Parts: sequence; C-alpha cells; structure tokens
Amino acid sequence: MFLTCKENLFFNHATLMADKKRAIADRRHFLQSSVLGAAGVGLAVSSSSSVAVAKTDEATIKPEVTNEVDVLVVGGGTAGTIAAIQAGRAGAKTLLVERNFQLGGATTTGGVAFPGLFDAWGKQVIAGIGWELVKESVELDGGKLPDFAKVPRSHWMNQVHVNQFVYAILAEEKCRDADVEIAYYEFPEAVVKTDAGWQVDCIGFGTRRRVKCKQIIDCTGGAEVVGMLGFERLREEERQPGSYLFQLGSSHDPASKQLHRLYVHGADSTNSRTATLANLTGRQSILAKVRKDKKRLMHLQPETGFRESYRIKGETLITVQDYTSGKLFDDAVSHAFYPVDLHTKTGVRPKPLKRGTVPSIPLGALVPKGSRNLIVAGRCVSSDRLANSGLRVQASCMGMGQAAAAAATLAVQGNTTPSEVPLAKIHGLLKKHGAIIPGKA
Amino acid sequence: MAGSGVWAFAQPFSIQVIGLHALTGFIFIAVIGLHIANNFVPLKKYFKNRVVWLVIAITIALGALFYIQPPPIKAVLGLSGNLGPALDRFEMTEEGMKYDYVPSSSYKLSLDIRTGSTYSLENPPRLAVWLENQSFYHIKTLYASEAEDAKGMLPYWAFKVKGWEQAKEEAEKKGLDLNETVDAVSGATENGSFDPADYILPGETNSSMPYRVMIEINQPDDSSKKLKDQPSLIYQVEVDNYDPLAFQLLELVGYPAKEMNEENEEEWAIYYVDERFGSAMSLINSALLTIDRSP
Repeated sequence: MFLTCKENLFFNHATLMADKKRAIADRRHFLQSSVLGAAGVGLAVSSSSSVAVAKTDEATIKPEVTNEVDVLVVGGGTAGTIAAIQAGRAGAKTLLVERNFQLGGATTTGGVAFPGLFDAWGKQVIAGIGWELVKESVELDGGKLPDFAKVPRSHWMNQVHVNQFVYAILAEEKCRDADVEIAYYEFPEAVVKTDAGWQVDCIGFGTRRRVKCKQIIDCTGGAEVVGMLGFERLREEERQPGSYLFQLGSSHDPASKQLHRLYVHGADSTNSRTATLANLTGRQSILAKVRKDKKRLMHLQPETGFRESYRIKGETLITVQDYTSGKLFDDAVSHAFYPVDLHTKTGVRPKPLKRGTVPSIPLGALVPKGSRNLIVAGRCVSSDRLANSGLRVQASCMGMGQAAAAAATLAVQGNTTPSEVPLAKIHGLLKKHGAIIPGKA
Repeated sequence: MAGSGVWAFAQPFSIQVIGLHALTGFIFIAVIGLHIANNFVPLKKYFKNRVVWLVIAITIALGALFYIQPPPIKAVLGLSGNLGPALDRFEMTEEGMKYDYVPSSSYKLSLDIRTGSTYSLENPPRLAVWLENQSFYHIKTLYASEAEDAKGMLPYWAFKVKGWEQAKEEAEKKGLDLNETVDAVSGATENGSFDPADYILPGETNSSMPYRVMIEINQPDDSSKKLKDQPSLIYQVEVDNYDPLAFQLLELVGYPAKEMNEENEEEWAIYYVDERFGSAMSLINSALLTIDRSP
C-alpha cells in the first residue's frame, strides 16, 4: 500500500518541521502494512508549489529489470563501495545500488578527499580493501602516503589526501573486477521480507528494478533501509553542521591542496527535502562569498558533506566510554581511530584519545536489533552521539564496510544471518582480504 | 632601579633580573622614607601647589590604566612578552626540577619534573620547556638549559624557536600582524594567537584556545645497545582552559629527526620511539603539570 499526499515545498524551517512530523506519521502508517516503504515514498518535488502523486500497486511493482543476487548493497559511499568489493571478491553475487552518479560518497561527491585515520600510535590499525583503494589512488596520482612512524602534530595530519576523481573511477574498476553490478541513480522504494531473504523494489529515472536477495547491507549513511523496515533508529534533535567544499580564487589542485569549506548549519541528510535544503543553503552561502570576495569560483562539490542523521539501534550500542577507553569487544571486527569530534555551531574542539587507545567496532553494532539477514556499515553504526562523532570518519567506515560484507557473504554461504556466523570465520575471511582484526595482530 | 626595570621589561622571566629589580625597589623605598623624614617641613608646602595634585592625579590614572590593562596598554606590555605582574621560578633539587609560573593570583601553573633512574646530577641532561600554540608555533620558552650546547642538543626546541623568530621577522618586515603572515598548517585549524596571555589567561574561557606545554630532554653521550647517542626525547601535554583540568601528566611523544619537507627545506619532525631506545626513556620519571585556577 502506498501513500498519496500533497506537499508544499517551501524552504523554511517551519515547513521542514511540519514535513518531519508528517514523515513520522507516514512511517507509522507504513508499519501497519505488509509491504514496507520509505516514509518519503510517493512524495514528489517539482518546481511547482504543489504536486499530487497517486500510485497504484500494479504500477509500482511492475519492474523493468529484475536481479537475483546474494547480497544487495544499498549506498555506494565510503562504506558501501568497500562492502560491495568485499562481497564480490568473497564470491557473493552482488548488486550495488547508489542514488548518486559515482562511487565514494563523502570522499568523492562530498569532496572530503582526505580519508583517515588508518593509523594509531605509530601502527596501521585499519587496512584491507579500503586501504588498498586509497593506496592505489595515491600511487596512481603520484601522491605521497603518510609515514605512520612519524608522530602527527595533530590527528588530521595523517589523513591520506587522494584525488577524488581517480578514487571514484578506481572504485568502479575494483567493483567491476569483483563482478559487482552497479546501479546508479537508483534507490529502494519498498522492501518485503521473503522466505529466501528480501524483495527490494528500486526506482531510478526510467528504471524500476526488482531485486531478490538473501542479505542486505545498508550503507546509506542514515540507515534508510533499516528505517523502511521499521527497526528502531536513533537521531538527535539537532544535527552537526555539514561542510560544503569549494575553491575560490585559485584552481583546485586535487590531492595536494585542501578545498575551502563552509559550515552548512542544520545540514540534514534524513531525506531528499532536508538534503535539498542543505544544498541550497550551502550554495547560496558560497554565492554570497563569491560576491563579497570578488573572486572566481573555481571548484564546487556536487553536494554538502553531511556529518550525521540516523543511527541504528543495534544488538550492541557503542558508548563514548567504550570508545574513549578503547574497549575490545568480544565480537570486534574492525578498529576505529579518531578523536571525539563533535561539530557545533561555533566549530569543533576535537578530544584526542588517550595515548595507546584504539577503539574497536563489534559486529553487534552493525546488526539492527532484532533483525535477520540485514546488516549496516558506515556512520549509522549503533552508537551514542559522542562515540559516533569519532566512529563516523572514512577509514573506520571502510573497515565496517568490509566487516559487514564478510559477515553477510558468510551468512549467504551458511544459509544463516550475519550475527550467527561464527566469528572465527568472519575474522578468517577479513584476514584473507588484508583487514586488521582487533586483538589478533 | 630604572636600569633593572628596563632590563626586566626585556627579560621578564629571569629570576635574577626580577630579584635585582625587587632589591633596587626596596632600596628606593628606603631612600624615599629617608628623604621624606629629612625634608618633611618643605614637603608640606608642596601640597599647597595645584601642580602637585595634578601630578598625583596623573600618577593614579596611569597606575589604574596599567592595572586594568585596556587593549592599548596590553599591546605595549605584549611587546615584552610579559603578562603583567608575572613571576616565574625554576628550582632544581635532587628529586627533580620544579617550575612555578604565577601570572596572576587566580592562575598558578606548576610543572614538576621528577628525575628518573638514569638522570645524572653530575652531568645533568639538557632541558627545554616551552609553550606552543594550536598551530604548533613556539610562543614562549619557559626554561632552557644555559649550557652552550643546548641548542644543538635540543634540536626540536631550537627549530621551533627559529621558526617563531623567522615568522616574527617576516611580520616586522611586512609591517603586518603576525597572525596574517604565518600560514595555518591546514585549513582544519585556524592560526592561533601568538600572545601567551591569550592562552594562559584568556579573557573569555569560552573562546579560549588550547596550547601545549612541551619538554625536550637530552642526556649527552648516552648510548644504548642500538644507538651510539640516543636522540633527545619530547614530552607534551595539551592545556585547554575551556575544559580545565587541575592535574595533567606530560606524555612521551617521540624523538626528533631531521628531514626535508616538500619545499626542500630542512625541518624537524617527531617520530615514535622504538626498541632502539634504552636509558633515555628513564631520564624522566614523570612530569606533572598542575594548574590552580581560582575563580
């Protein structure tokens, strides 16, 4: 059953708040139905102020393309790209659905082309497929990798500067080599549980795709699939500001010079409406800067880099105490390393971790509580807000992506669910693909 | 007293200069007392003169200005790197070294360095203690060994001081504010202030900037199994008045090594200590920074 609704799209706060309330009501409505759909399904945005979209079940479910795969990765960003490559390399038939036009997410489309941190206290703590992609990008671009034996004067100095364009293309090549099918411009419209796993209807312009899969890896950043399925998610009243990256005055020299950036306060990637607002606000601020500084705009990223939206409530929740104490979880599958880094309206005061501390990420924090055949990776990891401010960075998300895919692939092979795959098997597969396992070095 | 005053303005953190200035001050007060006792009757006549009252009023006004320290006066004081009535004291005992710094009655900083098992009192290691701002620039040396070879033995501190002096020189040449001339290391961090007072005694705690207390220590000719002469070691702690802590231990960061940067310039970087180090690791038992901030 799908919703029909009218919506006026005005870019002001009051309208957005009303939209959020309506979305919550819509979601409750969905959960009562047998076919689960996104809260925003049926809503349409156009240049006119009012649009009504009516759908029939028949029109919605008739696909032009069908896929039957082992693993469906939703979201081809930082975590999703790595997850797809890992699943493909481990022998799972994999489809990667990405709503944008390229892989890499924050690293490429957001322009945060300095992923980190792969090292802690003089040693590499995150490796595997993410590191392989970053390293090859740097080498192909003639860049320089940081020397992990050297003490960074500040945490961000060991971020690895990559050429975002090279990174995006190399990611595609690695997906292709791993037999991963990529579907750009598409996103899930409805998800139904089946005996064999899931049936996911995706939509893109001119494309309706039905995917039958055994496992879903939700790498959407805001745990959109998890939300569609009605599992509990966490979100703060206020979001950290996003960053819009651009270059004013001088040309953009990728991988060697950082772009200019400005905060987009209230940037929220929860849905297309809030993301639209963030992009409009960010670009308008940049235009104002162009007028004020009277300099040429030489480079502009396609969208805002978002810091937070929804997080899942997983089987395990990583607290800031777990994070800052470097707790080694029994079911740890990857490391994370970054200061507690909560951005506010006035900026950020990173709180570095104590010497020797290296947090770990448990498998339970990637599994939505009470779910089966569903796993997440990326910044929506089950964690409190402060822990998430350190966990959300790219290297950690890459580690999570690889771990989630290893668990999902082994679950397919063992005809079980990721949380029931023996941990030793997950560790074994991750090790085989170059990952570093917490407590096993 | 005027001579020692000028000297103290240029070298405000020297205990010898401050001591000399205080001594001449006491002598001056004693001389004034004798002068008044000797000339009491003629002095009384002075107070009938309006000019005398004007002089007294001007003196009180100037005294108040230097006490309140509005920005122009603060700028003048800033030329000396002084923080107003700051006093520091460095003391060396058998147990270690103690550095006290009291820029105001409401802010007392104390660095207590306890010597380790390999510390030699007969041939003490070279030591420098300094502050760095959030852009990693040296902003003030609190203490440096007076030995002639100190700069060579403490290359990281010397490199930092040199960088700071160069930045100052460039700023003076261009007639610009220092913050405008020295590039931030990255867009991620804005340039910090170069005025120690902005860190140690921030006017507004909410907008205060973190700073680092750094130690570099080096024992001459100390070999280990794998090194002929172990390099100096660097310890640091970050102080953030926004999130104040009373006690903080300085942590070992690493050892400095010379390298060429991307602009082909020589610079010193810090590397993590590895298994080649031995006795150097025991020069310092611990270094505790205590800051008493009373409201």
